[in-house]
Amino acid sequence: MAQDIVNWILLGCFYAAIGLGFSLVWGLMNILNLAQGSLVILGAYVAYWSYTVLHLNPFVGILVAMGVLFCIGYAIQYVMINRVIRAPFLVTFMLTFGLDLLISNVLQDVFTAGYKAINTPYSSAGFEVLGARIPLLNLAVGAIAVALTAALSLFLSRTRIGNAILAVGMDRDAARLMGISVANSYALTFGIGAALAGAAGAMLAMTLQFSPIFSGQFTLFAFVIVALGGLGTPWGALAGGLLFAFAEVFGPLVPGVGFGLDTAIAFVVLVLVLILRPYGVLGKPFYS
Amino acid sequence: MLELEHITKRFGGLPAVEDLSFRLRSGEVLGMIGPNGAGKSTAISLIGGALAPTSGTIRFQGRDITRLAPHQRALLGIARTFQITQPFAQLDIRENVIVGALFGGGVRSRARAARRADAVLERVGLAHKARLKGDELTVADRKRLEMARALATNPQLLLLDEVMAGLTPREVGEAVGLIREINQSGVTVLVVEHVMRAITGVSDRILVLHHGRKIAEDAPDAVLSDPRVVEAYLGERYARQRAADQARRGAETGSAAFDPPTPDDTWKEGLV
Amino acid sequence: MAKPTPDREIEADAALALAPRESKDWRWSLGLGIVILAVIGLIPLTGDQSALGMWTFIVMYCVLAQGWNFIGGFAGHAAFGNVAFFGIGAYTVSLVLERNMPYLLGLVLAPIIAGLFAFLLGLPVLRLRGHYFAIATLGIAEALGQVIQSKNVGGTAGEISLNPPGLNFELTNSLFFYGFLVLSLLTLLGTTWLTRSRFGYALVAIRENEQAAEALGIATYWYKVGAFVLSALPTAVAGGLFAYWQLSFDPVGEGGAFDVSISVAMVLMTFLGGAGTILGPILGAIIIEYLDQYTSISFTAIHGPLLGVLIILVTIFLPQGLIRLVQELIRAPAGVKQSYPMRVRQGVRRVTRFILSNGI
Repeated sequence: MAQDIVNWILLGCFYAAIGLGFSLVWGLMNILNLAQGSLVILGAYVAYWSYTVLHLNPFVGILVAMGVLFCIGYAIQYVMINRVIRAPFLVTFMLTFGLDLLISNVLQDVFTAGYKAINTPYSSAGFEVLGARIPLLNLAVGAIAVALTAALSLFLSRTRIGNAILAVGMDRDAARLMGISVANSYALTFGIGAALAGAAGAMLAMTLQFSPIFSGQFTLFAFVIVALGGLGTPWGALAGGLLFAFAEVFGPLVPGVGFGLDTAIAFVVLVLVLILRPYGVLGKPFYS
Repeated sequence: MLELEHITKRFGGLPAVEDLSFRLRSGEVLGMIGPNGAGKSTAISLIGGALAPTSGTIRFQGRDITRLAPHQRALLGIARTFQITQPFAQLDIRENVIVGALFGGGVRSRARAARRADAVLERVGLAHKARLKGDELTVADRKRLEMARALATNPQLLLLDEVMAGLTPREVGEAVGLIREINQSGVTVLVVEHVMRAITGVSDRILVLHHGRKIAEDAPDAVLSDPRVVEAYLGERYARQRAADQARRGAETGSAAFDPPTPDDTWKEGLV
Repeated sequence: MAKPTPDREIEADAALALAPRESKDWRWSLGLGIVILAVIGLIPLTGDQSALGMWTFIVMYCVLAQGWNFIGGFAGHAAFGNVAFFGIGAYTVSLVLERNMPYLLGLVLAPIIAGLFAFLLGLPVLRLRGHYFAIATLGIAEALGQVIQSKNVGGTAGEISLNPPGLNFELTNSLFFYGFLVLSLLTLLGTTWLTRSRFGYALVAIRENEQAAEALGIATYWYKVGAFVLSALPTAVAGGLFAYWQLSFDPVGEGGAFDVSISVAMVLMTFLGGAGTILGPILGAIIIEYLDQYTSISFTAIHGPLLGVLIILVTIFLPQGLIRLVQELIRAPAGVKQSYPMRVRQGVRRVTRFILSNGI
């Protein structure tokens, strides 16, 4: 039982990282980034490469992944998504889906579908508390995820650029009248979202295995996490992550459910939550 | 025909409409005015059904409609226009109005709906533009389309939400004529407006809202001379100043205090 | 109401010059659709079996796209989980055949069960707004596939493997091809009827402006549920035919009965062809599925990325779909009489300008 609780919390924090970038892009630009999963896997590959080829510390690899993904995300937004931003949401939906297809297939062609992971000497290190084993890496990853959430929250509310991004998210045309470059803000937002996805990918590479096959699943997870926790604040991703992890860890323990039904459980929970609280648990109509 | 009893609508903690009660008699034209943010559009949405009141009851022809959905109210005979026009952009005007006839208007066959649509379009003066698409119209025509669609549902109560906003003085005159004609054909009308000249010309009675509360309900002239109303619109200092002016010069016609001079008047003032 | 004043008479004449072309469009679309399907119907006569196989898939996707068009194109609500109905159809037929019940019973039951499922699912899910509805439907389809797999419905891990039925007549590939073709034709007729019916008007009104539609007396919620159920019917029958034809398939994964890429394909095809039009889905399905089949055989490696690039290009440059593009090309601007070549020239200029203009 204690082990389940440990698993739940650590998994929940990790899931928060997956949902953070998705939440930002959705909350501020009303875009469902269906390429989220692919970006996460891409980040995992970057981190893997920086470890195996550049021999960098995996934690530094997180930063490398964030940097690379930021540039890619910025470019994607500026060149492609900005063109369709005023179109009905189905258009951007399909566009990000196309991107997802492109990225994950290219990854599959180049790297094959084999599972990869960053294996370090301390990968299995951990310690025991109250009969539950706490793996060190997972703990570190969880802490980083929470730190990222806090950092994002502070960035949006305290920095000039963050405020500008929020302004554009609330009222694009009014922000433009204030002299804010909307195209740039959007590109920054998506870039940051991609960077966060990259961080999640790097963390994934450190703690679990990854392969391009998982990209779709992560996108779905990101959606459920954000929808559960609510838009409007980065902490929603954390709330959603914990909720989702709870369903994943404790759901199969319900008699009759068993394992292998993650997605089904996730969506039943999601639909129920949405019906009761359309904005999600912590959600607000506007990002702030 | 329509009764609002102690209607309150709160958004979060903010009351958009507070303890509003009034009666609308069958066949009359009731004007609703008030400064921006007074709650006029909220009131229309509450009557039309797009919003549900936090508390209070609405009765239509004796029947409690507080819990009814907008489409159900439309079928009962309540039609509304939208302040920000909502045309069906991909359809042409004629088809826009046909939709109104087919559903709210209770017509079953498309052919009969088309005939009614043509008649309505003729009435509002859009017949010659029937084939233009919803998003190809001028502002005045969009407002006319809103009215035409609402009329196609054969309503007994018509709620007009700022149909004159953005119209030139001549277009305002035409709209006033149209509203009068609609009322004379037996439709009860509730008009929300900012253009004072228009609303005084068309209303039997006027209701004034301020910060969501009713502050006056009377005949047009009485309402516009009411110092509370003047104060709500133009502020306390102006009200006092105007009272002083009036004492000196004698009362001026009600609505002149609220409207900017029309182009016709200004050039006359330039003459010695 | 005052009679039109002099400066209005010029407008009046100009506007009257607009021929009432709109009401004739459906005849063109229906006619063209029938012609296209008829031409496709000649394929089996060539005797080329591999072409027959490819085109059977193409026609199947025509049906799927046409089905999606009801909820996604006409009602304007993008459902991303319509593959669920396909899978339901496939599994209904499979379960019927596994129990040695009358051969065609499955085909009759498939739309009924799928329609019921669509109704029950639609009730809660259509209360959700745009994004949520899309992903909720996506998730339900995924979840359904997972449930079938984990509960071993129809076989271990949900894998279906049917024995060819012993029937009096031979089941040739051509039979299934024509089965899909007839289904597509029926759906084409159904779509055409929809555009002329009261129900269709309600859906379009809901798509264009749901709030205004409600204010005009349309019970939007129920019409949306109706559209959703309607979209399930041809999709489920197609799924059933798929089961009869393939006899062996998995619930999830590529080519599976609940494969999410089928959902996406439906959307993309309708999109490319023109959502909410009669011909759009058929056109889009032919183009995309042909490309897909061709590249998956000849260019397997770039097949996936190619599809991705195609989707990106379509969404950026051609979001309104091909049919509407053509309509826009030959449209006469308000009030001016023009010959067709002139209209096309101006239309090309207009369209190019639109395509190249930046969104922001």
